[in-house]
Amino acid sequence: MRSLETSSFRLSLQTLLRNKSAFVGTIIVILYFVDALVMEVYPKLFGITQPNSLVENFSSPLPLPPSFSHPLGTTAYGIDLLTSILKAIKFDLAYSLAVVLSGAALGVIIGVISGYVGGALDEFLMRITDIVFSIPYLVLALAVGFVIGRTYTSMVLALAIVWWPLYARYGRALTLSIKTLPYVDSARLYGMNGFKILLKHVIPNVLPPVFVQISLDLGTIMPTFSTLSFIGFIPNANLPELGFLTTLGLNYIQTAPWTVIFPGLAITVFSLAANLMGEGLRDVFDPRRRSE
Amino acid sequence: MKLWAYILRRVVILVPTLIGLTFIVFVLSHSGGPNLVLAEYLNPHLSGSAKQAQIKALIQEFHLNQPIYVQYFYWLLQVLKGNLGYTNTPIYSGPVSQAFELFMPNTLMLSIIASVFTWVIGMPLGVWSAVKKDGVFDQTTRIAALALYSMPFYLIALSLIIIFGVYFRVLPFSGTVNLLLVGSVPWYQNGISYPTHIFIIDAAIHGKYMIALNALEHLILPSLALSLGSLAAFIRLLRSQMLEVFGQDFIRFAYSKGVPEKDIITVHARKNAIIVPLTNFVYLVAFLLGGAVVVESIFNIPGIGYWTTQALLNNDVGGIMGSTLLFGIILVAASLAIDVIYALIDPRVRY
Repeated sequence: MRSLETSSFRLSLQTLLRNKSAFVGTIIVILYFVDALVMEVYPKLFGITQPNSLVENFSSPLPLPPSFSHPLGTTAYGIDLLTSILKAIKFDLAYSLAVVLSGAALGVIIGVISGYVGGALDEFLMRITDIVFSIPYLVLALAVGFVIGRTYTSMVLALAIVWWPLYARYGRALTLSIKTLPYVDSARLYGMNGFKILLKHVIPNVLPPVFVQISLDLGTIMPTFSTLSFIGFIPNANLPELGFLTTLGLNYIQTAPWTVIFPGLAITVFSLAANLMGEGLRDVFDPRRRSE
Repeated sequence: MKLWAYILRRVVILVPTLIGLTFIVFVLSHSGGPNLVLAEYLNPHLSGSAKQAQIKALIQEFHLNQPIYVQYFYWLLQVLKGNLGYTNTPIYSGPVSQAFELFMPNTLMLSIIASVFTWVIGMPLGVWSAVKKDGVFDQTTRIAALALYSMPFYLIALSLIIIFGVYFRVLPFSGTVNLLLVGSVPWYQNGISYPTHIFIIDAAIHGKYMIALNALEHLILPSLALSLGSLAAFIRLLRSQMLEVFGQDFIRFAYSKGVPEKDIITVHARKNAIIVPLTNFVYLVAFLLGGAVVVESIFNIPGIGYWTTQALLNNDVGGIMGSTLLFGIILVAASLAIDVIYALIDPRVRY
């Protein structure tokens, strides 16, 4: 049994590694996580002393093109782009993870219960899901910002509220298809109670595809989150965040395009990598939905 | 069941969805107390006892001393009577319904052009990358689509500005028209043109074709930006759907009985493959609305998205409730429309 498990794990790993784009994607995602970890634990490794705020240099406030001392150039008020992006990755990653994980947890719980119990409860929960699903995230973000203030935390909350219906629907669909499988029937015939079937048979089979979805969503959330802060929903933060970093260079777009391109590129690369990784993972965990 | 009964049932289901949506946003935006509503309606020139009297009158009028769900009920009643309240933003203050009238046409124009772009660019790319699966064309299209899909929306818009507006200097990228051209025309005031509020059409109505041409140039970049954002999802869906159809027996049968490949692609495969991207139209509408907010802010276009952003950033309760209702109705109506179209074109769907 043990050897069978290890060999199936090795097979999964092989499938993932053989897919070159998924491999590259996974490496890039890992690098982003490593960067976030370094910024949290020991930022001096990259020669950064203030990992949680943007360092301005008012003696040369105008954006400078990429040079030896500033490899990616500087943006408004003399902020060095490379170090700021390295700092910002930690925040963007943390916020995106918070959104996806809380949204996925809430959604999967609701979806699994809804699909497993069925009947009136299912109808009720799905109606609520539909309602929340139809809320445009920008509107909800603003409404939430009204109540608890426009901060990064409230934006995370708003996005999580908008994101869970997706997982509720997905979790419900998975549960419905698993519920009809013969081994669930036989477990029920053996007299296993419903809750135990849910824990032992349904949830373990729902989770792997959900994890794939999470890794794909990570690539969607980060651009969405940075868009919120780009539009200006989070005022005067001075936190290194990629969307905010982009807005700093907005007035210099005609003379210094690198100020908006590099922060945006940092998001694009991550999002691309997360998508490639997610598609690779999907081939491993969920061969039926294999990407073409 | 008849089709009309199906439509009727769907419409009945939509009503609680809209009520739930507006209720959530209403509770969230009114839970901060009466000050935001008061600030919207209070005459700023009043002071002393006159001010207190007006506050009292406003509290009476909007039932601000009652629980929020009661206030919501009164709000709903007003909406059903056609009164959407007032909005107060730097770009416009006045009745919400008039704000819709002034700003909606611009957004509509932008969205229509963007969806035409999406259709015209996406259709051949999606079909051909499925036909030439794993070829150079397919790989390039897939990588480009994935890269576009991964870009934050504002980066797409800014890149277009940098490439076409700043580097090549071929297209304008701010506002709806060159202001030097319209300095003295009487039908254009405060960034809004009359009578249709769509600048191109208004200019054409008044016979100023040069100005209309200039306005058209101003529309290209925003609508291209809007369409590029949705293009990636469209191409990917169409491609995977085409591939699925290609794998089916009736296509193989058509090949074996000697139907020309061109006819197989256009008549047999594309017709079947288009259904899923079409149902995805709802998400396209949702995306266009969300994207319009970003695009209109970046390109300075006085549309519904720009107004919504202003309402949101200025704590304008009336504007927020109004745009929530509008966005909700558009999304819900789009999803209804797509279900009906789906039922009409796909005989396998039973309703």
